[in-house]
Amino acid sequence: MITLHHFLFVSIILFGLGVYAVLTRRNAVMVLMGIELILNAANLNFVAFSRYGGLKLDGQMFALFVIILAAAEAAVALAIILNIYQRFNTINVDDVDTLKE
Amino acid sequence: MQFTFLNIGILTWLTFLPLVGMLCIFFLPQKKSQLAKWITLGCTTIQLLLATIIYIKFDRTLAGVNSIEGMQFKEIFPWISINSTEWFGKISIQYFLGIDGLSVPMILLTAIISFIAVLASWKIEKSVKGYFSLFLLLNTGMFGVFVALDFFLFFIFWELMLLPMYFLIGVWGGERREYAAVKFFLYTLFGSVLILLVMLALYFSVTVTDAITGEKMHTFNMLAMMNPQNFENNSLLFGLHTYWRYIAFIALFIGFAIKLPLFPFHTWLPDAHVEAPTAISVILAGILLKMGGYGLVRIALPIFPDAAIHYVYPIAFLGFINIVYGALCAMAQKDFKKLIAYSSVSHMGIVVLGIAALNTQGMVGAMLQMFNHGTITAMLFVIVGVLYDRTHTRQISEFGGLMNKMPKYSALVVIAFFASLGLPGLSGFISEAFSFLGAFQTHQWLTIASTSGIVLTAAYMLWTFQRVYLGTLPEKWNSLQDISKRELLMLVPLAIIIIFLGIYPTPMLELMNTSVNALVEMVKVK
Amino acid sequence: MEFFSKADLIGTLPLLVVFGCSLLLLLLDALFKDAKKLVFSVGIIGMLTAIGCSLYTFPLSATAFSDMVLVGGYASFFNILFLTIGIIVFLLSYSYLEKQHYHLKEFYTLIVISISGMMLMASSADLIIIFLGIEIMSVCFYVLAGYKRIKVEGNEAALKYFLLGAFATGFLLYGIALIYGTMGTTNLIRISQNFDAFSHPLYLAGWGLLLIGFSFKIAAVPFHMWAPDVYEGSLTTVTALMSTGGKAAAFSSFILAFSIPLSMHNEKLMMVIAILSAASMLIGNVFGLAQKNIKRMLAYSSIAHAGYMLVGLASGTKLGMDGIIFYLISYSLTNLGAFGIISIFEKENGGNLSYEDYAGLGSRKPILAALLSLCMFSLVGIPPFAGFIGKYYLFASAVQSNLTWLAIIGVMTSLVSTYYYLRIVVYMYFRESQQSELIFVPSLALASVVLVSIGIFIFGIFPSLILNVIQNLL
Repeated sequence: MITLHHFLFVSIILFGLGVYAVLTRRNAVMVLMGIELILNAANLNFVAFSRYGGLKLDGQMFALFVIILAAAEAAVALAIILNIYQRFNTINVDDVDTLKE
Repeated sequence: MQFTFLNIGILTWLTFLPLVGMLCIFFLPQKKSQLAKWITLGCTTIQLLLATIIYIKFDRTLAGVNSIEGMQFKEIFPWISINSTEWFGKISIQYFLGIDGLSVPMILLTAIISFIAVLASWKIEKSVKGYFSLFLLLNTGMFGVFVALDFFLFFIFWELMLLPMYFLIGVWGGERREYAAVKFFLYTLFGSVLILLVMLALYFSVTVTDAITGEKMHTFNMLAMMNPQNFENNSLLFGLHTYWRYIAFIALFIGFAIKLPLFPFHTWLPDAHVEAPTAISVILAGILLKMGGYGLVRIALPIFPDAAIHYVYPIAFLGFINIVYGALCAMAQKDFKKLIAYSSVSHMGIVVLGIAALNTQGMVGAMLQMFNHGTITAMLFVIVGVLYDRTHTRQISEFGGLMNKMPKYSALVVIAFFASLGLPGLSGFISEAFSFLGAFQTHQWLTIASTSGIVLTAAYMLWTFQRVYLGTLPEKWNSLQDISKRELLMLVPLAIIIIFLGIYPTPMLELMNTSVNALVEMVKVK
Repeated sequence: MEFFSKADLIGTLPLLVVFGCSLLLLLLDALFKDAKKLVFSVGIIGMLTAIGCSLYTFPLSATAFSDMVLVGGYASFFNILFLTIGIIVFLLSYSYLEKQHYHLKEFYTLIVISISGMMLMASSADLIIIFLGIEIMSVCFYVLAGYKRIKVEGNEAALKYFLLGAFATGFLLYGIALIYGTMGTTNLIRISQNFDAFSHPLYLAGWGLLLIGFSFKIAAVPFHMWAPDVYEGSLTTVTALMSTGGKAAAFSSFILAFSIPLSMHNEKLMMVIAILSAASMLIGNVFGLAQKNIKRMLAYSSIAHAGYMLVGLASGTKLGMDGIIFYLISYSLTNLGAFGIISIFEKENGGNLSYEDYAGLGSRKPILAALLSLCMFSLVGIPPFAGFIGKYYLFASAVQSNLTWLAIIGVMTSLVSTYYYLRIVVYMYFRESQQSELIFVPSLALASVVLVSIGIFIFGIFPSLILNVIQNLL
């Protein structure tokens, strides 16, 4: 029997992997993927809570919202990354550092 | 006691008239910018008249200090008023002006010195409009500090002076003006921050009952803060001789001591004085320094009498250091203006010593010393200014034998110098004598040690006089002119005041006596 | 079944107007080739109408769309603030974009859309709406930050902003999910009524994640790294929008969300916020000292100011919240003024941004210099400017809540900040100018800067005008 805890466990692993990817990966697209992982971990949570908590469809609805917004974000992000590639000829985030500290 | 014009009280007129003048200056066309001088002169003349009216109408039998009935020319209006809230109760900050014997001498002083300072700025060439608008703004701040009885309002005026002063030193000053202006700004702001914190703590500790609604509310009213019964039980500053009250008093004391300026917070003063134009030096020494002393007697002492008694010895000791240290520094100076600046430090030490006496003689001496020092240093700075205008140097070593070349000028110099060193018959003597007499009763040895300051003062004043005015005149100064009518107009009234108060100080003593007595009683009870 | 009523539509009129306006702008953009003036003026008219609607809905106090959106009061108040900011940014941008040779008219559309996001954030009665609002605003900001598409720094700003912003959104969302799981609802009103689950570890973890997400958006230490680069790399008027509207919006929903856990007098949460606040004040002001670029300096100043506002939140009292709202107004006006003047003064290719470039401005452009000094003094918090009253309120709330140490840190760090704010003034007035080029001052921009300066003055001298309104918002 798969319980809520299984879902939460998977979700927390996804979240952890996402954070790990954002913090360690230097390729901008990989970082973006890490962010997507975090968002989807949250989505999984929403749906699981909605299903197992005897709640109405709020959770599913929330997940739909998130998917849409994630898509919008990804579109903007890829556009930015494309531009970066044209200017810098690289998408390594460490190399994109001209503004002085 | 009330006195109004157009339904607006005289104190409001006195304080905000300069702002009206400032507006006029804003709308002056660039071509007629010279008119700004006349507008400013007009404002200060009217203020002088108003101050005279206050002087005449002032009831000398009312004490004031902590009783609202004793305050004269009162004006009370709600200013920032925010309705009741669940968490906080009613917030009410009043526009509360009023004067008593502690403030009247300061108002007179401010009016006189401002008038002189306008005359001293007559030769300003660099952006005249800007200079005089800032001057007027400064003027509003100064009067505001002396008439405000609501702590919040007091603080606003206190800070209001900071900005114009900063620009006046920074834009119209000498070579190192930038350094001097920033130093002045940071020192004073640091002091204000301490005052602000104490003000907050006081606000949350004091409650009064609203006369109309019967609601309990916090207040910034200084008079309410002076009554120990208004402190809420278990609030931060409740009780007497508590740890927090001591801390609050020290913070407040440092805040005012920076302005005074008291050793070791005095280092901004010589820099600011040397770099500031003559008129601003006059205001700085004549009025701004007095605000520190005024703050002590108006706020620190009556609100924290217990802490004042507790720390009276260290305060007196700082006063002693100021007197001797200031005099020693003055002796070592080569720059005429810096010398006068350090002599101010020394003389303000006498004020602190007098206040620390915590008895009537000492306190009266201190108040009188503030007035007298204001007039005497103003004169000294004008004297330096006159010389600097003609020669563009302030090095003492470059002068000599000016006595023969500029006889009228030198006669006035003699009066100022001798008043400064405390010659009997001139005003400085009376106030110094009172301060020392008062202090002697409380701090015998310190006072005896402090009198060495008088000897030192006499030494450096006479030595300076000898170096600058006696001896042989260097050839390059052969074409020096004696002083002009405008300069006479600045120096002669001050000289008259100095001589008059030296012979007959009663008019001034009468003004402050009742209030000072009340203040001393208040502090003694604790 | 009726999904919404007429009252809902009337109540959310300001939102609807702005949404409609942004759609209209998109349309105009597509239909007409050279419609820059048209887009500009329709946008302004739209926002003015929305201000009118907000004034109309102000007396209402309700929720709309089955408790999803707040109506009237708090929401309307913030709507007016955001729309005012929007209009001023419009006015500043018109000539600025010309000067910098950016002729794309989507700029205005993006601003209007981002403002609709801000308005959603301030009217959210549900965590979903907060998320939605943040996303609408942020996505627009990502694009706006990268508006200097042909410039290296523009791209860099956009990338950094996006990566960190989206990362923060992830935290925020995960936090919302946890709260949803433990409370069974995302509705703020219902969460505040349900006391049972308050100590559940997942619930607390949810608020913790939410706190991280918001801290990113307001640029509080240690989540501030993006701010300096983004502020420096973006167009100056965009920076003005991000530092005022963006911050105000983040705080408006921060207050709405966190008034729930704070109302339980959760000492630990208060302490965490207090530490964030102290760190922001310290780091922001200390790093501010070392900056040479004015925009970068203002970025660190904005971090410090986030710290000041967190003081009010840490106190957890109504006084503190009122203080934040007042501070947001004064800070927004001040920063609009400052960035407005910087944008007027900025050269074509982003020159004229260092302290040295401001030397002698006092004699070259006396009015601009005076207004910039006024803004700087208000940022320092010197009376009689609005910044003083704001700071006073916040520190008073800290003293009242026994967080005196926080008030002392606040006061001391603002003393430190004096130094770098004054530096501009020192350069403008006490140093001689190296340049002799004429500075063109566009009248629209000047008018808006003068307007905000008057606001700073009036709210500084008569704060009760606005404080009495703020009083009744929460």
